[in-house]
Order: sequence, then structure tokens, then C-alpha cells
Amino acid sequence: MKDSRGPTDGDGQPKAADGDGQPKAADGGSVNSPFETISDIEETRRDRYRKRYENYVYAPFSIIWDDWRARIGLAIIALYVFVGTVGVFLVEPTTNLDGSAFIQPFETWEHPFGTDRMGRDLFADTIHSTRPILIMMASGGLFTVTVGTVFGTIAGYKGGITDTVLSSITDVFINIPGLPLVIVLAVMFEPRNPVLVGILLSIAAWAGLARAIRSQVLTMRRESFTEAARAMDVSTSRIIRKDILPRLMPYIVINMMNATRNIIFSAVGLYFLGVLPFEDQNWGITLYLAYDAGAHYRPGALHWLLIPMIAIIGISVGLILLGQSLDRVFNPRVRARHRNGEAEAEGSEDVEADNTGMMKQV
Amino acid sequence: MTEQAVSNDDRDASITDPILEVRNATVKFGMDRGESRVLDDVSIDIERNEILGVVGESGSGKSMFASAFLDAIVDPGTLSGEISYYPDSGGEVDVLGLTKSELNQFRWEEIAMVFQGAMSSFNPVRKINTHFVETLTAHGDTVSEGMERARTILSDLYMDPERVLRSYPHELSGGMKQRVLIALSLVLEPEVLVMDEPTAALDLLMQRSIISLIEDIKEKYDLTIVFITHDLPLVVDLADRIGVLYAFEFIEIGPANELLEEAAHPYTRALLKSTPNLTAPVDEMRPIEGSAPDPVNEISGCSYHSRCPMADQRCEVEDPGPYIVDTDHDVHCHYWEEASEAVPMPNDGSGTETGSPDSDQPISVQTPETRPRWAGENPVLSLDDVEVHFEATQDEGLLNLFTDPETVRAVDGISFDIYENDVVVLVGESGCGKTTLGKAAVGLERPTAGRVEYRGQDVWEAKETGGDIPFEDIRQSLQIVHQDPGNALNSYRKVFSSLEEPLVRWYDDLDGNDRRQRILSMLKHVGMSPPEDYIERYPHQLSGGEQQRVALIRAMLMNPDVILADEPVSALDVSLRVEMMDLMLELQDMFDTSYLFISHDLANARYITEKTDGLIGVVYLGKLVEIGTPERIINDPQHPYTRALCWATPELLTETDRTDDSPMRKIDIPDPTDPPSGCRYHTRCPEARDVCREVEPEMVDSGTDETHQRAACFRAQENHEYWTSESIVED
Repeated sequence: MKDSRGPTDGDGQPKAADGDGQPKAADGGSVNSPFETISDIEETRRDRYRKRYENYVYAPFSIIWDDWRARIGLAIIALYVFVGTVGVFLVEPTTNLDGSAFIQPFETWEHPFGTDRMGRDLFADTIHSTRPILIMMASGGLFTVTVGTVFGTIAGYKGGITDTVLSSITDVFINIPGLPLVIVLAVMFEPRNPVLVGILLSIAAWAGLARAIRSQVLTMRRESFTEAARAMDVSTSRIIRKDILPRLMPYIVINMMNATRNIIFSAVGLYFLGVLPFEDQNWGITLYLAYDAGAHYRPGALHWLLIPMIAIIGISVGLILLGQSLDRVFNPRVRARHRNGEAEAEGSEDVEADNTGMMKQV
Repeated sequence: MTEQAVSNDDRDASITDPILEVRNATVKFGMDRGESRVLDDVSIDIERNEILGVVGESGSGKSMFASAFLDAIVDPGTLSGEISYYPDSGGEVDVLGLTKSELNQFRWEEIAMVFQGAMSSFNPVRKINTHFVETLTAHGDTVSEGMERARTILSDLYMDPERVLRSYPHELSGGMKQRVLIALSLVLEPEVLVMDEPTAALDLLMQRSIISLIEDIKEKYDLTIVFITHDLPLVVDLADRIGVLYAFEFIEIGPANELLEEAAHPYTRALLKSTPNLTAPVDEMRPIEGSAPDPVNEISGCSYHSRCPMADQRCEVEDPGPYIVDTDHDVHCHYWEEASEAVPMPNDGSGTETGSPDSDQPISVQTPETRPRWAGENPVLSLDDVEVHFEATQDEGLLNLFTDPETVRAVDGISFDIYENDVVVLVGESGCGKTTLGKAAVGLERPTAGRVEYRGQDVWEAKETGGDIPFEDIRQSLQIVHQDPGNALNSYRKVFSSLEEPLVRWYDDLDGNDRRQRILSMLKHVGMSPPEDYIERYPHQLSGGEQQRVALIRAMLMNPDVILADEPVSALDVSLRVEMMDLMLELQDMFDTSYLFISHDLANARYITEKTDGLIGVVYLGKLVEIGTPERIINDPQHPYTRALCWATPELLTETDRTDDSPMRKIDIPDPTDPPSGCRYHTRCPEARDVCREVEPEMVDSGTDETHQRAACFRAQENHEYWTSESIVED
């Protein structure tokens, strides 16, 4: 290392010698400071896209693909998304008297899931319900996480008066009783657009997340690496995006999955209660109609209740599995091991670290 | 002195009354990538009532060695071999054969252990008292008797037992916690005390104070002590014998003084040479090249051969058995007799007295070709009477509405200047405000009073109202390198991503490939090759030294004028410190920067200032008490506190050259919320007189034309009322 200060290696000759603000080599012109090195190959837009693809698409997918939970979860979610996007064009919407009433599931291939009291095909009904439910979930989940994260990180990082204002707003929403508010708002606005329904249902859900994130950011703000970033005059938004958010991502992802699951449950619940106005078909409405028709005590109609329930449980399980494995994506240790294959050296430091950890417990 | 390997059985001929015998202890861990041996066939005898120092770099297996005594290896690890314990009463205990309940009795009552990291050894929600009671009841001891013992031990360790027992762990300082931990391990009256880096987290002054306490404690309680550390100079004056661990086995064992003067293994010699200290000429300090071997790879032959200057084919093939240097001095090296020529020591041939600070042979100083710093020239950074006061806010609440918040005067009126290409090192104990002062100097902490000026422009004025120099430029010019490299880099970002940050922010004209190229060449320049591999790594895949280099490069890429280096080497192994400091100085040359260096270690401070012709500033409780060139500060300190720091710096001196009396009256630093009146040091100063209690001393010049030294002590002034004042030192 001592003699490494020879002329810069062949892999880059300084091409801009004018150097505004660039240092000159302290001991004369014989030494090319590595600081002046510039690549002779121009970076193309394609290079940039390729890098982004590798960082944000390829790497995460190859990591979660290693985990069986993620594979199952992804498969389940992909199935629902396929049904909600393509399926609705493949299967005709059902109408009354599509078939005779109460055909049992798997009795005929014409009505694989059977029919209800009005002779409506439950298979088509389930498929056409998927789309609005998915939209509802996605919009509600995104709303919760976005608002919660924005409020939490800014309040935590900025501190001072910003924190006071944002935290007060958060506190107000934490203390509002969620369900009654949603019912009142639903009755007032009668939202029919699934996006609106989703947002309405999560109107009080983001505040808890914001609180939790704020307290985590508060500790991170004091860490050396954010101080170093501040010393480099990196903008606040960039520090939050690049230094703070990645560390919160496992937590945010789990919350996103839970928020989406809560959206289905409360949407179905509110449709079942008849609070939300009926618009398209969806599982909640189907459940309501089945219950109304007494399906829970008529053995011949039981499938009317079971099929939307299974659909709901299925997507919920898919989300849980995916959420559990997604936190691996952000773990630097997993990412590092992945890049170099499974046998990447963990080094003896880990042994030492584990060891001291144990000793403190003795 | 036969050059013939001896068998294990008769090797420790000098041990007459062993208390512990370790035979062929091996610890193995099964890992994904193979089995790793973290302790490799270690055999050693420990004499009753001796202090054995065990020295090794991080990852040399020294913690494993410590836990082996207690048969406390963590689970995937397995311990094989034989460990026998010989109690006072006679008989023999086979430690590895004990049942679980026997082992419980054995630990703490026969062999007790003091862990590193006192902070996490206590339960934060329980009072210290509870910790003692729990330990006593867990071992079925009478609590009242035991607590009586605890009180005695605590006061032997210079603490107020009543106050300490009533406290929660967070109310004690780091040094006090560590001492309580020692007391806790002694309360069951063990025979053997194993101390694993007990002082690593403390500053030197506290380290040294604890070390001298350990000697007294050992005498009083009749202990056998195994002291494990990475810091060789720290143990030489404590230990009777020293064992050097390298790559999971002992490579040399011998009496402390002999090891110091005639180390026989090239690694021990290199280690001695790489250690910064106050007396050896700075040019003689050399880092050890290369790195320690990986525990998974089975090494054939001598484990040190890849780094050894005199290794030949025999070393690669044949494992060097113990060679007997002396009756009680063994070494694992085929060519130990030639080691003194291959790795010469600075004081070889000239005997021991070269070392002492008072020797008339002056410390080698680079010719002060450059500017006499106190002659006019505009400073880059100028601090004028800077104060940083914090309000302790944790007491907020209704009940405290009418009490004044307590103020911590972290920095209380400090002025100094930093010039172009300058180095100023701030030294002091932990808690004396040196980090806060540093952060205030680089504009990261807003001073509550006083001015911080960058090239004549007030930094905070520029930020708020704008000034002649835009704040952006100031921000770019003042950078920081943190103490803990693991935390200074975001563990979620790859090296490349972290290093790219300053370039993205400050050099718009560079595209992605340029940035990559520049980062690659920087990494290569600091010796991290292949850089293509390093940029794709996450911080946890780097060693501490590598992390610190990345952090340093990141600051350098900003092209700053002043870098605040906050204890940049204290987290590194001793043998890596010189290398890191050399790198910092080399980069300083290249980038034309100045350093504001913070350290608690006067030896590091001396190394870096002597090489650059910089200044050492001594900070005590928010005040600058002395500042000057290294040769003045070390050879002729004016302030008694500076003298205490010099005393605390471990020296590679043999016993006869050392003074053991602490030049301080109290070990603990006073509470910074309520600093002493007058001279703040008067509560601990051995020279304090009445006037020190009332009047605060001013900075006075005591340098000469060629040297620079200013001290805030009355003793530096010849005709001061101090000399007629009454002494307040009571014995």
C-alpha cells in the first residue's frame, strides 16, 4: 500500500485538467491524483436503465425467489391479479337465471362453483368481484403507507415545529374511533368508486404507522451516517429516501400487507352490514346476499357463503406469505450473500460477534 | 537454549504451583462454508497468584480462550481438550467434566469473569444493589455478609459504596460501571479472575487507573488474574507473564519484561513496533503488512508465515513447536534466534534508558521547515470563545415546572485556529467535550455563544443571512470522519452507493461511469483492491479498517479544507492504527486538507502531530487547558492534567523506568452539570492550592521562539500568588 501512489493505473486518464475546485497533486505534477480520474466511456441512458433494473427489479426478485413462502405468496397474488385483469374479459358476467338455482359446486362444468338462489353463476361472480376488491386493497394500502411514511419520516427527521404540527395531526387521527368514522363517512358520501372506498376505509389507519415510523426515524437522525450526509449537504429529501427509507422498508412492507388485508376485511364487513352502497359485484355483497337468504342454515346453499370466504382467505394468506419474505429483500446481509452465491464468506468477525453477544448473557 | 522442539508435558518447567492447566484446548465452529477452528490446540499453565496477560488482535481467538476456562463456549461451538483446576485445598477439578449444577458453583465462586462492554452487562431497570443481591442469592450466599464484602470491595475501588448501590446503571459513568463489574465478580471471593478486554471501551486515563487498581485488588484478595487485551503496552506493566495469541494459538509466552526487551517471535516484535507510544521515534513505527488468516482455512506450517519477513519453505510446511528461549520463555518460531535481526527494534543495542521521556536525546522531530504557525497568516478555521451548552431536558414535567433546567457546559469558552495543511489534535477524557467542540468547529453543532469562522466568515451567519462566502462552500469545506466506522456508513448501502453520494451532490458534470471510475481509483489508492469487488460490498463485509478507509475517502471526495476526525483509529486494532494514520497523512498531502483530530490517546496524538508539525490541545471539562507542539506537551507539560495524560499513556518501558503513582487525587471526572469553581482541575490536581479554587487561570505562553505552548495553569507563571497560596491537597 505504501507504494501505491504511482501514476494512476491505466484504467482512466484524467481528461479534464482545467479542474474547477479540483485539487492539484500536492507534490508536483508527477502524481495524478486519483481524484481527477474520469472515465472515457460516456454513460448512456441504456446503462442507467440497466443499473436500475438490476437494483430494483432483478436483485429483489432473485432474493425472494429463494424463499418458498414468497413463491407461494407470489403465485397466489399473481393468480388474483390475473383473474382481476385478464379473467374478467374471459368470463362473461353473470345474470339472474344463468342456470337453475342452487347448483352445487363441481356439479356441472358449466357452473364450476355452483349457482345461487337467483341462478347466478358463482364462478363468474367471484371473478368479477376480484377486480374492485383488488383496486380497493391497492388504493387503501398505498394510501395508508404513503401518508403514514411521509408524516412519520418528515416529523421524525425535521423535528421542531414541523414535528409538532405533523405529530398533532397524527395524534388527532389516532384518537378518532376508526370504525364509527368510516361508517358515518360511508353513509354521507356513498362512495361507489373502489379507489374511494379503499381510501375511505384507511382514513384512520395511517396514523399508527406514522407514529411508529417517527420514533424510529428519531433514533436514526442521530446516527453517524445521517450526520455525515448532512455534513455533505445532501438534501433532506435525499437523506430520507436514500439513507432512512431503506432501513424502514421491512417495517413498511409488513405494514402495507397488513393494511391491505385490513381493507378486505373491513370492506367485506361493511358491505355485509349494508353500510356501503352496492355497486359492482363483490365478495362482501355476495356474503350479504347469502346471509340474507339464510345460507348459513341451508345445507344446499352453504357454498354460496363458502366460496367468497375462501376467496378472501386465499388472498389474505398470499399477502401474509409475501409480506413475511419481503423483509429479506432489504436485508443487506441477505443481499450481499446473494450476489456472491450462497457460500459467501461471513468472516470470523461474525463468530466473534456472536460470541461476545453470548457472553453478555452469561 | 536448545533448538529442539519440546513436548507439551515438560514445557512449562517454571510453573511450580499451577492453579489452572489447559491442555490441547480446541474450539470448533461448524459454519456454512466449513469448519472453523477458533482456538487451535492451546496448552498453557497458569501459576497461582500470577497475572497472565493474553494479547491478541481482534479475531485471534482471545475471547474463546477466556470462555474456555468457564466451559462457556456458545452453542454451535464445541470445546475439546482438558482443563484442570487445582483449588487451594488440594485435589483436582476437571472443568470440562463438571455437571451443570457443579459448573454453576464453579463459575463465579472459583473462576469469575469480567466481560468487556460494561454497558450491556447490567440490567438497566435494576439498581446496582439488586445486581449484587441476585448474584449472592443465586449462589446461596448469605446476603448480609456478602453485601458487607461488596461494600468493602467498592470502596477499595475508590467508589462510594452507598451511592453506587443506590444508583441505576445509567447513572454511573463508563469507568464506574466497569469497576462495579469488577466488584460484582469479586463478591463471591473467586480464586481466579478472567478479564476479557475489561477496559477497551474506556479512555486511557480511566484504563490506567483501573489497571493500577487491579494490582492492589490482586494483592488484597489473593487472586490469580488472566487479563485479555489487544493492547500490548497496557498489560506490560501489569502482567507477570504475557502470552501472545496469533491465529488462535499462542505463539510466544514469557515474562513481561523479557518479552518487551527480547521478544523472540517476529510477530511479537512487529506488534511492539506497530504500537504508537510516546517515546519511540515516530519513523520507527511500522504497521504489520497483510492480515490474519481465516479460521476456516487450515494453515499448514507456521500461521504467521504469510506475513513474516523471514519465512522460508520450512515455515510453510512445518508447524513450529515450542522452542525454549529461557526457562520460562517459549516461542513458536523456527528462526527465533534470527528474529532480532530480521525485525529490529528501535531500542535494540542502546539498552533500556533510551525510552524514558527525560532522556536528553530529543525525540526525532522533522525539521520545522514550514511556517511558524503563530506568525501571521490567515487561519482556515478560527474558533473564538466558543461555548456549547446543553440543557438537560429529561426532567421536564409538571413537578419540575419551577426548577431551572440543568445546563451541561460541554464546551465552555474555547478558542484556537486551524491553518492550511495543519493538524490540531484534541486530547482529553471521555465526557470532556472534545467531540462536541469538534462538531461545533465543523459547523455541525451550533455554538450557544462565540464565533466559528471559516476564512473570516462566521459559519452560522452565512447559513442564516448569507455572507461573503456562501454556506454551500463552507459546508463542502468542513467534513467529518466518525469514530465508529460501522455506524458512519449506512449498513443498507453498498460501498459504491455511499461513496457516490458526495459526487452526486457536488459534481454535476460527472456521469455514472465517471463516478464509478473515480471511486475505483480512490479505493485502489488506499489499498483496497480489487476495487471492482469492494464497491459491490456492504459495510458488514468490510473489516473495521476498511470501513474506516471508505469513510475517509467519502470525506475526501468532497475536497474539504478541514476534516474533523473523531477518534478515527480508536476502534481499530493497535497494529492497524499506525497504518491508518499514515494513510490519513498521505491523503492530507494529496488533497491539501487540514485535520482536527480527536483522540483520547496521547500516543496517537503525538504520532500524528510529530509527523505533520501540528499541535496538541488538551481539553478538560469544556476548557482548553494546554495547547502546544508535541515535544513540548510530552516532554515538558505545564498543566498537571497534561501530566496525568502522559502518565496514563501505556509505555513500552520495563519496570524500573516506570512511575506508578497516579498524579491525580481522584479517578472520576466531576459532574459536568456542576463544574468546580476556579480552575476546573483543582479537585483532582495534586498541585492544587487555595487560589485554584477561586480564580480561573488564564492561558499563558510558555513556548519559545521555535516551539509553541500555552497552558492555563498558574504554575506556568513565575510570579503568581499561587506560589504563596496554601495547598489544598490533603492526604
